[in-house]
Amino acid sequence: MHAHIQQRIQGIINNLDQLPSIPDVASKVLTMVNDPDVAFKAIADEISKDQAITTNILKLCNSAYFSKGKEISSIDRAIVTLGIKEVKDIVVVAATREILNKIIVGYDLARGELWKHGIAVAVLSKRIAVLKNQKAIADIAFTGGIIHDVGKTVLALFVQNTFREILDLAQSRQIQFSDAEKEIMGFDHQEIGEKILTKWKFPEVLKSIVRYHHEPQKAPAEYLPIVSIVHIANTLCLMAGVGIGADGLYHELSDAAIKTLGLTNREMEDLYGDMPRVLDQASGIL
Amino acid sequence: MGASSSPGILRTILGSCVGICVYDRMKKVGGMAHILLPNNPGDGNPEKYADSAIPLLISRLMKDGAKKEFLSAKLAGGASMFKFNASVTLGQIGERNIEESKKILEKNGIPVLEQDTGGSTGRVIDFFLEDGRMKVKAGGQEKLFYKV
Repeated sequence: MHAHIQQRIQGIINNLDQLPSIPDVASKVLTMVNDPDVAFKAIADEISKDQAITTNILKLCNSAYFSKGKEISSIDRAIVTLGIKEVKDIVVVAATREILNKIIVGYDLARGELWKHGIAVAVLSKRIAVLKNQKAIADIAFTGGIIHDVGKTVLALFVQNTFREILDLAQSRQIQFSDAEKEIMGFDHQEIGEKILTKWKFPEVLKSIVRYHHEPQKAPAEYLPIVSIVHIANTLCLMAGVGIGADGLYHELSDAAIKTLGLTNREMEDLYGDMPRVLDQASGIL
Repeated sequence: MGASSSPGILRTILGSCVGICVYDRMKKVGGMAHILLPNNPGDGNPEKYADSAIPLLISRLMKDGAKKEFLSAKLAGGASMFKFNASVTLGQIGERNIEESKKILEKNGIPVLEQDTGGSTGRVIDFFLEDGRMKVKAGGQEKLFYKV
């Protein structure tokens, strides 16, 4: 372990200003959606206050993936036509694009690859949720999919200098890449991601997805199914080469996640074989 | 799938998928197939399965003037997750992709001259159509394969 690297990362975590920021509207909308006493009108007003994000949200509402056919020209209409859960997902897409859509040096991801990966994992997570009768949480799985790797945006700088050591340790000890990250740097990208979500005041369920997406069996029992969904979606996207970086496939495919969701071998192969269609759908959001 | 004559570079990113680079050394035309799974269930996108994509690639190259006796292949990809339960069949998909690709190439009389396959590494491959060389970038390191 490199104590000085651990200290520098600890310093970043302690000083929230150094962690990435997103527009306030995202956390406000996530909180409001969960409160049954909040009227849709209040949510629409909150979003509309941020002019820049409203423009992007309307564009996304009319994109191939989200559109229901009719042109949407206001947030009010969007909520009526697409539903509040869908609009919430769109707000998160619009709010996180800037921080995720960039070069991630240490993991060797070119500009746009982490963003494409997040969107593909989001689309596939939603699909798995619907397939395995978890439709009620499909929207949360989608949100979690977008942001599951957000910790990489901060940790990449340190991985750049320690990559060889991390990979060597993973190989020699037969541990997955994120475990080796923690051994070498004191933190892994899941933990950093959780800290970022704490700064953003995101709900516990999303923090769990980010924190445990490589080790779903450690997630709190109530979140095990949703963390498992994003874990499987992440695995399939990496196997298909979508957003695969220097860490490659040095990860574990969790048996606990497969069992939790009751996925059969046939279903796993069909989901994987369907990746081209998932990518087509995802490209409508990029 | 891409097929064209020189100059040009075909690029793809691979996990468990396999990239099959086929080149005619005399006509200097080549093409790449990027397959996800070994066997087409029948109604799948023909470009995504080894057993349908490779014959398709060969026929496109022949249309571009390639001759079968001058064709050779290079393979990359077919990685596996670092850890998985042995009963999960998708875990072996990388190896099955490599195996099926080789089988279909052999059936078509196309020799596999070089390969960079297996392991748990992700690969970015560039296939240069001017001379048929393949560059593989994996885990921050680059390797070149020249045989055609």
